[in-house]
Amino acid sequence: MKFDYLKDLLKERFLDEKIDRLQYAYDATQKIYLPDCVVLPKTTQEVSRILSFANQNKVPVVAKGCASGFSGGALNVAGGIALSMELMNNILEIDLDNLIATVEPGVVNYDLQLALKPHGLFFPPDPSSWKFSSIGGNIAENAGGPKAVKYGVTKDWVLGLEVVLADGSIINVGSKNVKDVAGYNLAQLFIGSEGTLCVITKALLKLHPLAQASQTMQATFNDMELAAKTVSDIIKNKIIPSSLEFVDHQAILTVENSMKAGLPTDADAILIIEVEGSVFQIKEDLEKIEQICIKNGARVKIAHSIEEEESIWLARRSISPTLKRIADGKLNEDIVVPRSKIAEMIKKTQEIAKKYSVMIVNFGHAGDGNIHTNIMYNTKDKDEEEMAFKAMDEVFNECLKLGGSISGEHGIGITKQDYLERQVGKRTVELYKQIKLTFDPNNILNPHKMKL
Amino acid sequence: MDERLKKEWESCVKCGLCRSVCPVFRELRQEPFVARGHISLLSDFIKGNFDFDSEKSKDYLYKCLLCTTCVEACPNDSGTDIIVELARRRIVELHGLALYKKVMAKILLNRNLMDLSALSANVLSLFLFNKNVNTSRQSASLRIKLPFFDKDRLIPPLAPKTFYNKYKSYGENPRISIFPGCLINYTYVKIGDAFINILHKLNIGYIVEKKASCCGAPIYFSGNFDDARILAKRNIDLFYDQSIDYLVVLEPTCASMMKFDYSKLFMYFDDEEYVQKALKLAEKIIDPVKYLYDNTNIEEKLKDTGLTVTYHDPCHLKRTQKVKNEPRDLIKRAAHFTEMKEADRCCGNGGTFSIDYRDLSLKIASRKIDNILNTKAQVLVTGCSACIMQLSEALHIAGHDEVKTLHTLELINQSLKGG
Repeated sequence: MKFDYLKDLLKERFLDEKIDRLQYAYDATQKIYLPDCVVLPKTTQEVSRILSFANQNKVPVVAKGCASGFSGGALNVAGGIALSMELMNNILEIDLDNLIATVEPGVVNYDLQLALKPHGLFFPPDPSSWKFSSIGGNIAENAGGPKAVKYGVTKDWVLGLEVVLADGSIINVGSKNVKDVAGYNLAQLFIGSEGTLCVITKALLKLHPLAQASQTMQATFNDMELAAKTVSDIIKNKIIPSSLEFVDHQAILTVENSMKAGLPTDADAILIIEVEGSVFQIKEDLEKIEQICIKNGARVKIAHSIEEEESIWLARRSISPTLKRIADGKLNEDIVVPRSKIAEMIKKTQEIAKKYSVMIVNFGHAGDGNIHTNIMYNTKDKDEEEMAFKAMDEVFNECLKLGGSISGEHGIGITKQDYLERQVGKRTVELYKQIKLTFDPNNILNPHKMKL
Repeated sequence: MDERLKKEWESCVKCGLCRSVCPVFRELRQEPFVARGHISLLSDFIKGNFDFDSEKSKDYLYKCLLCTTCVEACPNDSGTDIIVELARRRIVELHGLALYKKVMAKILLNRNLMDLSALSANVLSLFLFNKNVNTSRQSASLRIKLPFFDKDRLIPPLAPKTFYNKYKSYGENPRISIFPGCLINYTYVKIGDAFINILHKLNIGYIVEKKASCCGAPIYFSGNFDDARILAKRNIDLFYDQSIDYLVVLEPTCASMMKFDYSKLFMYFDDEEYVQKALKLAEKIIDPVKYLYDNTNIEEKLKDTGLTVTYHDPCHLKRTQKVKNEPRDLIKRAAHFTEMKEADRCCGNGGTFSIDYRDLSLKIASRKIDNILNTKAQVLVTGCSACIMQLSEALHIAGHDEVKTLHTLELINQSLKGG
């Protein structure tokens, strides 16, 4: 049989019954592609053997963490081997002298945070899926999160990687050194490469001291533009909050309907603002932010307990999954524009929604210009579906006109691959193909993603 | 099948959030052991793309505690519990039931047979159990190997007199009816005693309806819908016309079954008459602690027992019945209360789960034990006898017999006594 070698190698960690293949066939895009088999390696050596087998037999291999991605990066679109990294989930070292953690890719982001907390440290990238997404997946997609406004995204916190290449060879790129300019910066090439160039088997992560204190406030606006202006005003006043999130009217209604979290359903927009630092610093920042918000006509609520804070954040993190209540189809985009252009972009989406008679729900990371534009449609209504895709096309165009990008954090995968060239240009796409061929001449690693 | 049930799996958006809360997934870390995986299989089954014919399907679908932690956490309210039960129903159709579950169903369907089994087990217990009865746990280990129980398992012995034999209706024009549940009827009668004592002290009349059947939960949870339906129908017929304000169901799992699962069971059979009857009866079903809290002035009568206690939230009390603050409020008046970490995390019992997957069940319990011990409490209080059985055994295994277990009703009863 075709996969006998893998079966002998991995024993009960090789799965090819339909019941198993079905459960490694999807991710949060809700699209389904059946892999031919599933393998669950426990060591880098096993990953190496799996890849060298796949390379010799020209079988596609799709590495996957927790399958919580929104762009289809973990889907076996051409069948082949689903390479689940979930059993490689050890935190190998927390180096307190250098503030570096060495982890295997299957470690769940939140589990790492829990392990770091007693040491007074944290790993800043915090995608909304942080409680159930893996570090490996975060790195492969270069995930961001609410804290990106202050701390940047995953690429800013990875110092080095151990990866397995398509032919099975194991290489280390980057190092524990803060400064290291020897050779090409391959680690940065691999971060965000969506499993198309290599399989990550180990990561060296930079850690940051936990802030002494943090506080969250919620500002409610009757006018989206004033909310967007507030974002610009806060930044203009040289305050960098640790999170600066916004939720539009439709998103407020949806989440309130589901969670009954006491959100103001009459509001046009909410900003959720978190500041971090010394007790003195956060008091000063909060006061300044409060003044800016009030000046722009907002009602302000400051969380005074952990419970209040958690309920604000839970509501924010629950928006995406609850959208299903509006319609069963959604084009879940994560466009990003320079933050000074947010109000303009939101206005454009509202015009586009009107033009195509579709509902667009916006929320996201106002502080870094990253807007989750969700175009909702009924999957059974083909006309509506067509309109939704037309609207998406126009959203991308407007976003690019404003100097933005079609993806801030979800990645390209299969859902946005048709639009990639529009942003980066033909010559760049050619370069991508050449790079891909250099690393993976047989195109076995996550083929048919990013137009590769 | 009723359209209302479809929402339970069609609402899943495969976000993966259930992975962060599931106690079984926390131990096994693979997709087949979490709600998202179960939902995907059931949806494919309904669409006709898949069937549970693989031997593995039993392992994957029975390794679920039905603790409903994922249901509570799901932003879309996907009903994973009913999904697992529906999948199990199909598994039963294809693979049949485990022998002991077949025997169990036969016994639970017949109250007389149940009583007879209990009586004979009681007589047999002299030779079944070791003499070294663990008095603090009121349980003993088995002397011989029984087909379904591990030999070292601590089992609470059957009470000499069942709840139904001990008590009959009391008071003029009583407004409540008591449904003890099998575990309290045959084993933990002392919990029933506590409730009866409390009612007498408060001078509240009650009905003991001796013709009541098992609620059907263990059968239904196994995927045996047909026998569960017979029991559900019997109980609904018995209590539906009773002129009462409340049907006080002492076991949270029975209460949860009768209050929430009966209607879904009849939805499955498209039996609209009984769906409506089940929904109507559901309004009257209440947990005893919540009943006392809402309808009596018991909080004024509680005296400090001097005990230091912590509280474990039973899944079918906190998550399905949403009873969370009431027991804590009463406990705080009866004892010194310290909240444990993750008080609402499942104890790992899960009914037959603890028989089928004992090691996994105890592993889940052991996380709970650490949290209990960290509170330095003398007594663990909880509102479910299955949790008491599980956690007292886990405490014993961990070498902490000094930590006692009490049902909330027992603590309340002691606290009233002190006054």
